[in-house]
Amino acid sequence: MRRYREPVFRLAVSILGQEFAPEAEDIAQDVMLRVHHSLRSFRGESRLGSWIYRIAFNQALNVKVRVRYSRPHVSDQVLETTPSPNRGPYDQLRDHRRQQAVVACVAELPEVYQSALRLHYWLGASMSDIAVMLDAPENTVKSYLHRARRLLHAMLAERGFDEL
Amino acid sequence: MNSDERLDQLLRDAMAAAAPQLSPAFDARVMQRVRPHRLTLVGRMVIAVYTAVAAGMVVWLMRDLHMVSIAAAVGIGVPVAAAVSSYGRRLLR
Repeated sequence: MRRYREPVFRLAVSILGQEFAPEAEDIAQDVMLRVHHSLRSFRGESRLGSWIYRIAFNQALNVKVRVRYSRPHVSDQVLETTPSPNRGPYDQLRDHRRQQAVVACVAELPEVYQSALRLHYWLGASMSDIAVMLDAPENTVKSYLHRARRLLHAMLAERGFDEL
Repeated sequence: MNSDERLDQLLRDAMAAAAPQLSPAFDARVMQRVRPHRLTLVGRMVIAVYTAVAAGMVVWLMRDLHMVSIAAAVGIGVPVAAAVSSYGRRLLR
């Protein structure tokens, strides 16, 4: 069971977003306890990993509803840690705004797209790992990412970032 | 660079923050809640005294009862007590 703690945490943080690592850790802890207590009732109809990740996914969604309005979802700190090449202030400001818009648009996508994007771009998870965590075939994950990018394109264009 | 590649790069830049890690105390916290709670020495002594007094009381209260009534009381009381304690333990989790 121990090998699932890190992926469960990553899945939770991918659903909650970059601001909510402490909440994701609480979720990972709750999921581990829940799995420990109900392991005997696991009927083996699905793989153990899928069962655990489904619990984590649902738990993270429940928590997200509660924490969504408690703190701003878009983190300036996250953007400030982004390496910025030495360019003029206008370019830096434009990049900063564009990245802020990207993070804000990601937060408006359907949950499963958000999770797939964060797992892929932020947490560096492989397609096969994302597929296991989201309990979906790899091709479906690729299609999630493709559709998420298309939606992001449209959303960014709506916000005036149409030079992409 | 086409627009897909630019968006790809933009996503990578926007999510360039270091990935968070589980805190080192995570395992200890989980294990603390998974391990059965052991009673302290005082707690165990209280339980032992309570059990002895309760058993003495039961024997004294039932001293005039018929054997069949005692068997019926034990037959009903023991499963009920076991069920209640099991339910209580589950609630505590």
